[in-house]
Amino acid sequence: FFSKITSYLGGSINIEDVSKKFYDQLISKNIAPEMAKNIIEKIKSKLGNQNVTLATYKQALTEELTKILTPNVSTDLLYDIKRNAANPRPYVISVVGVNGVGKSTNLAKLAYWFLQNNLNVLICACDTFRSGAVEQLKVHVNNLKNLNNQSSNNNTKIDIFEKGYGSGDHVVTTAKMAIQYAANEKFDIVLIDTAGRTHSNTKLMAPLKKFGDAANPDKIIMVGEALVGTDSVEQAINFNNAFGNKRNLDFFIISKVDTVGDLVGTMINMVMATKVPILFVGTGQTYTDIKRLSVKRVVDMLMN
Amino acid sequence: MVLADLGSRLRGALSSVESASDDEINSMVKDVCTALLESDVNIKLVVRLRDNIKAKIKTELSPEETTANKRKKLQKIIFDELVALVDSHEEPPKPKKLSTSTKVINGKKKKVAKTNSHVIMFVGLQGAGKTTSCTKLAVYYKKRGFKVGLVCADTFRAGAFDQLKQNAIKASIPYYGSYLEQDPVKIAYEGVTKFKSEKFDIIIVDTSGRHRQEQQLFDEMVQIGEMVQPTQTIMVMDGSIGQAAESQAKAFKESANFGSIILTKMDGHAKGGGAISAVAATKTPIVFIGTGEHVGDLEIFKPTTFISKLLGIGDIQSLIEH
Ligand SMILES: Nc1nc2c(ncn2[C@@H]2O[C@H](COP(=O)(O)OP(=O)(O)OP(=O)(O)O)[C@@H](O)[C@H]2O)c(=O)[nH]1
Ligand SMILES: Nc1nc2c(ncn2[C@@H]2O[C@H](COP(=O)(O)OP(=O)(O)OP(=O)(O)O)[C@@H](O)[C@H]2O)c(=O)[nH]1
Ligand SMILES: [Mg+2]
Ligand SMILES: [Mg+2]
Repeated sequence: FFSKITSYLGGSINIEDVSKKFYDQLISKNIAPEMAKNIIEKIKSKLGNQNVTLATYKQALTEELTKILTPNVSTDLLYDIKRNAANPRPYVISVVGVNGVGKSTNLAKLAYWFLQNNLNVLICACDTFRSGAVEQLKVHVNNLKNLNNQSSNNNTKIDIFEKGYGSGDHVVTTAKMAIQYAANEKFDIVLIDTAGRTHSNTKLMAPLKKFGDAANPDKIIMVGEALVGTDSVEQAINFNNAFGNKRNLDFFIISKVDTVGDLVGTMINMVMATKVPILFVGTGQTYTDIKRLSVKRVVDMLMN
Repeated sequence: MVLADLGSRLRGALSSVESASDDEINSMVKDVCTALLESDVNIKLVVRLRDNIKAKIKTELSPEETTANKRKKLQKIIFDELVALVDSHEEPPKPKKLSTSTKVINGKKKKVAKTNSHVIMFVGLQGAGKTTSCTKLAVYYKKRGFKVGLVCADTFRAGAFDQLKQNAIKASIPYYGSYLEQDPVKIAYEGVTKFKSEKFDIIIVDTSGRHRQEQQLFDEMVQIGEMVQPTQTIMVMDGSIGQAAESQAKAFKESANFGSIILTKMDGHAKGGGAISAVAATKTPIVFIGTGEHVGDLEIFKPTTFISKLLGIGDIQSLIEH
């Protein structure tokens, strides 16, 4: 009699069965198995041997996912930049990441956002390897110049700094020259694009350290794409470790969120692996398709 | 956590099979499934594969056999199931040179001038590696004596034409594109027509990245297809793609009806489990894999070789009699 009533009211559940079910669900949402396992183990040990209902289980999982995605450092980038205004050196931001994830496009979106916030932006073309990388940025800068001229508050400026293609020290020299140029020309921000690289290829990853040391960016942002599966864990870890033991990534931008529906597990993978917070999510291919992360919406997608 | 690890795990598991008890076999199967999940293979496929393996074990393994025999059989069962996962049993079209194609006329084989160029259209998600793979494929065929041209029908991505152009120039491949024309359908048509009239054997058409959530982009792809009438449509897929692979691949299949897949970025640690799920979902063969950013980084895909390699057991063919 009692058990009938409790089950009617959402009675106690078999925690092993329910854990298995949610483990599978997290994986189907593109959370890496090792991460899903960690999360579920945590819920299990938290709930212990109490009489658990499905509702309490779900709540615990929701809280855990929310906790993972909620940054414990400030993500108010504009505030940080404005504090730098008196500094003769411009505020330097660099994007890094594996091939084709959306570094250059989201860099252009960032530039647009800064212009909207009355900041002068110099884009520096430090992908000196991939064909068309420099021209790609030139097109973006031209588009942004036009948009800027059309808008009412066109007291801001944007330009490109490029020294063409090349290998070896070319990247480092270009970056240094751009920062110097930006300081002379009173740009507030230098946005440095870099070449995409395979995170497991040490020959390609090593130059990042050199670049980081030379350009010394105020913020290093890794662009990761929502489409990537379990590899996202290793991508995040390897890029976070690429700048030596005194320097980490500052933020992620998770791009192509518009292409995965509610399979948004990559965000969990990358943040869980590194504790680096998400600054923006990329939601399309136009300049306004860059949004603040809504932790609640992401958690809802993972839970439903 | 990749399929390569699966090889060592599998061998570890197999060698741990001593008495070949149900427990041992079960834990081995479980290991295989976990490793597949960790390589992004779609969870439904893994469940199906597990059931297949278990069913085969039931029918093929008898308790009287020696442990060595059982192990051999287990290995073959698992190898076969993995191959089945990536094998679509479809043959991709083989382009022919316009000058050397043969036709059967009145029961006799005759050399005739093939009149139609082989037109290959590339489609895929944003940033998958289409433009890069276009040039790789062009170079691949050029090396084999084909006359190949590249058409840039991506008018959307900033710098797309420059990218294709610089690649083409480096590889000495004729190319077609425009900085001014906005309509990709028009450029595709003009480029293909031009190369056809110049008797090119193979014409490769690069298109913009797109995704199933934006109908307009898919409509554009269909229009380009109708205009250039490709003999082969190739979907380019990033080898690191996760659980979204299946739904995207299915949507591309429905709209573009691609007949082949190129799996890119296989030089990283990702082992293409997501894309393998796409193969299974669309019954479409992978024809090439991209293994780097350079133009020569393209390998022919063979299911058995691929699985052997991923398993880290290069000589599996010789280990088990097929
Ligand atoms: N749907 C969608 N597409 C995006 C998004 N961000 C970027 N893209 C597209 O992804 C493709 C690759 O973008 P890029 O910015 O060139 O990527 P990248 O990381 O700079 O590439 P490499 O420099 O070659 O490594 C382009 O077609 C972009 O339009 C996004 O948020 N949503
Ligand atoms: N490591 C590695 N990188 C690759 C491979 N294939 C392509 N890339 C890189 O991936 C990035 C994107 O490649 P693209 O050819 O521009 O991709 P796309 O599909 O044409 O991109 P959109 O036109 O923007 O949709 C570039 O940085 C390429 O160099 C590969 O097999 N291995
Ligand atoms: Mg780029
Ligand atoms: Mg392209």
